[in-house]
Amino acid sequence: MTLPILPIFVIDLLGSALMIFFAGACVRLSYGLYVQDRENVLWVYLLMVSHALAVFAVSRGVGHIAKQLLLLGGYRDIWNGLRPYSGSLNTISFCVVGAVTLFFERIWKVYQQILRDRHALQEAHENQVSLNKRLEDLVSERTAELARSEQKFRRIFEASLDMMAVVGSDGTVLDMNPAGREMLGIDGHNAQWGAERVSFGTFFARPEEWEQLKERLQRECHVVDAEIELVALDGREISALLSAASYCDVLEKTEIFHFVVKDISQRKAMQQQLLQADKLASIGQLAAGVAHEINNPLGIILGYTQLLIREEPEGTERREDLKTIEKHTRTCKTIVEDLLSFARRSHTKKEPASVRDIIDEVLSVVRHNLELRRIEVVTHFDPQLPALVVDKDKLRQVFMNLIMNAQQAIGKDGRITIRTVFDDDRKHVRVSVSDTGTGIEPKHLPRIFDPFFTTKSTGEGTGLGLSVSYGIVKDHGGEILVESEPGKGSVFTVLLPVTAEPGDSGGRDD
Amino acid sequence: MCLFTVISLPGGASATQIHAEPEGLYSHQLGHGFFVVSMGVLVYWLRGRRLIRHQGWRYLQYSAILFVLWNVDAVLVHYLENRDDLFMEFSERTVHAFLQPYPGREWITVLFYVGKMDHLLCVPAIFFLYLALRQMIRSPHRFSPQGEDEP
Repeated sequence: MTLPILPIFVIDLLGSALMIFFAGACVRLSYGLYVQDRENVLWVYLLMVSHALAVFAVSRGVGHIAKQLLLLGGYRDIWNGLRPYSGSLNTISFCVVGAVTLFFERIWKVYQQILRDRHALQEAHENQVSLNKRLEDLVSERTAELARSEQKFRRIFEASLDMMAVVGSDGTVLDMNPAGREMLGIDGHNAQWGAERVSFGTFFARPEEWEQLKERLQRECHVVDAEIELVALDGREISALLSAASYCDVLEKTEIFHFVVKDISQRKAMQQQLLQADKLASIGQLAAGVAHEINNPLGIILGYTQLLIREEPEGTERREDLKTIEKHTRTCKTIVEDLLSFARRSHTKKEPASVRDIIDEVLSVVRHNLELRRIEVVTHFDPQLPALVVDKDKLRQVFMNLIMNAQQAIGKDGRITIRTVFDDDRKHVRVSVSDTGTGIEPKHLPRIFDPFFTTKSTGEGTGLGLSVSYGIVKDHGGEILVESEPGKGSVFTVLLPVTAEPGDSGGRDD
Repeated sequence: MCLFTVISLPGGASATQIHAEPEGLYSHQLGHGFFVVSMGVLVYWLRGRRLIRHQGWRYLQYSAILFVLWNVDAVLVHYLENRDDLFMEFSERTVHAFLQPYPGREWITVLFYVGKMDHLLCVPAIFFLYLALRQMIRSPHRFSPQGEDEP
C-alpha cells in the first residue's frame, strides 16, 4: 500500500493560504465590531482573539508554504534555519490564543458587571426622570391649586362689598380691596400701598380710637364688631363696624393686621329714621289723645260763645270780649285739628288727582307773594306723572307748608325748585321742593317734624306745619324726607305711592 | 546578539514538522493541549451562558469545537510523525513522493496520512470564526445583565 504525498502537499498549501486569508478577514471584522461599540469588552476580546489567531495563521501558513516550496526547490538548509522560528512562533501564538480565550469568563463577568452597572444607572436615571416628572407634575398641580385658591380668595377680596384691608403694625396700609378704597374715597390710589405709606389711622374720626384699637389687637389678637367712625378723603363721615385680627408674619418678623370693615351708615340712618318715626308716632298718639279730649270742650266753648255773641248787641264791650274768646277758641280748634292731622286721626277723602294740578293751585295762590320777595319758582314736571289717589285738600296743605317754609327760609331773592319724578320701578311719585335758603342746622334736623318745634320767632309759626305735613303724607302711605346744608338750602322730598284705588280714609278719629 | 544566539540554539523545533528535541516537541504538544483546554472551556461557557442561541455565538462555538478537533489531530500527528516504525517515504521532496507503511502498520499509517491533512479542520474552524464575526457585525447582539441575551 502506498500513500501519495501530493494531496497532503496541496491541502497544506491551499489550507495555509486560506488560513491567512480568513485570519485577516476575522481581524477586519472584529475591528469593525470594536469600532461599532468601543466600550463593549466582548468585542475587545474578539479583537484580541482574532489578532492572536492571525499571528498564528500567518506564522503557521507562511511557515508551511515556505517549507513546502523550499523543500521542493531543494533548499533544505534554508528551511532548516527557518523551522525553529516558525515552530516556536506557532507554539507561542496558539498559546496566546488559548490564554486569551481562557479570559473569556472573566471578560464576560466584567462585561456583565458593566451591564448591571449600566442597567442600574439607567434605572436610576429613569427613576430620577420619573421622580422629576412626578415632582414637576406635583409642582404644577400644586401651583394650579394655589392659583385657584389665590384666585378664589382674591375674588372674595376683590368682590367683597365690605372693606378688607391688610395693615402693618405701624398702620401702613399694605393692601385694600376696591370696596375699601371706594368707602374711603381713595379709589385709584392702589398702585403701591407700601410705597405710598397710606396710614389706616388717618381715616379714623377720632385718632385715639385707632390707638386703642391697635393696643387691643396687640393684646387680644382680635377685635369683633367694634363701632368706629371713619372720615373718607372727601370728608364723608362713615359709621362702620370693624372686625380685625392680627398675626405675626414669621418671614417678615412683623405683625400684620387684617381688617374687615362694614359701612353701617345707612343702617344707622335708618335706625335714626325709625327712632324718629317712633318718636313722632308716640307724640302723635299723645297729641291725638290730648286733642281728642280738648276738642269737645273747645266745641262747647265755641258754641256757647257764639250764642252769647248773638244775644249781645253790636258795639258793646261785652260783645268784643266774647269775639276775642271766639277768636282764640277758633285758634285753639285749628291747633287741635292740626294735631289730629299730624296724628292721622282727621277725616280724609281720597280721590284721583293730578299732583301737578295741586302744585299749580298752590303756586297760583303764593306766586304773587313770592314775586314780591323776588323769589323765582322753577318747576320740572315729569310728563309721565300718573294721577294719584290723594286727599287734594290735605296734599295742597302739605305743598303749601313746604313752599311757605321755603319762602321763609329764603326771605328775599332766591329760587324755589319744584321737581316731580315718576319712578315706575318703585311705583311712587317723588315731589321735591328745594330752596336756596338758609338751610337747617344739623342739630335741628332730627326734630323738625316734632309738633310745636320751630326755629321761627314767637308768633311767626306754631311749629305744626311740618308735623301736619308729615301726618298727611304718612296717611297717604308716603314718606317725607329732608336734606339740608346750612347756608346752601334745603330739599324736602315727598314720596307718594301710586295706587289705583280711590276711597275715603276716615282716619282714626271717632 | 546574545538573545539571537539563545533563540537560534533550539534548531529542531517546528509545528507540524519534526520536533527532534524532546523539549520543543513537548512544549509544542503542551501548547496544543492548552489550546484544546481553552477552546473546550470557551465552548462550555458559551453553552453555559446560553449565548449559542444567537447565531454568531453559535458559529463561534462551532469554530471552537473544530479548533479542539484540529488540536487533537495535530497532537496525534506530531506524535506519529516522530515514530520511525510506521512507514517509509519515497521520492522525498518531489511531487511524486509517497509513503510505504511497514507491514502491520497500515491502519496507523493511514491514520497519520489523514491526520496530516489537518487544514481540513483548521480552515473550517477559522471560517466559522469568520462567519461568527460576520454575523455579529450584521446583527448586533444585545446582552442583558442577568446573562439572558435576546436575539
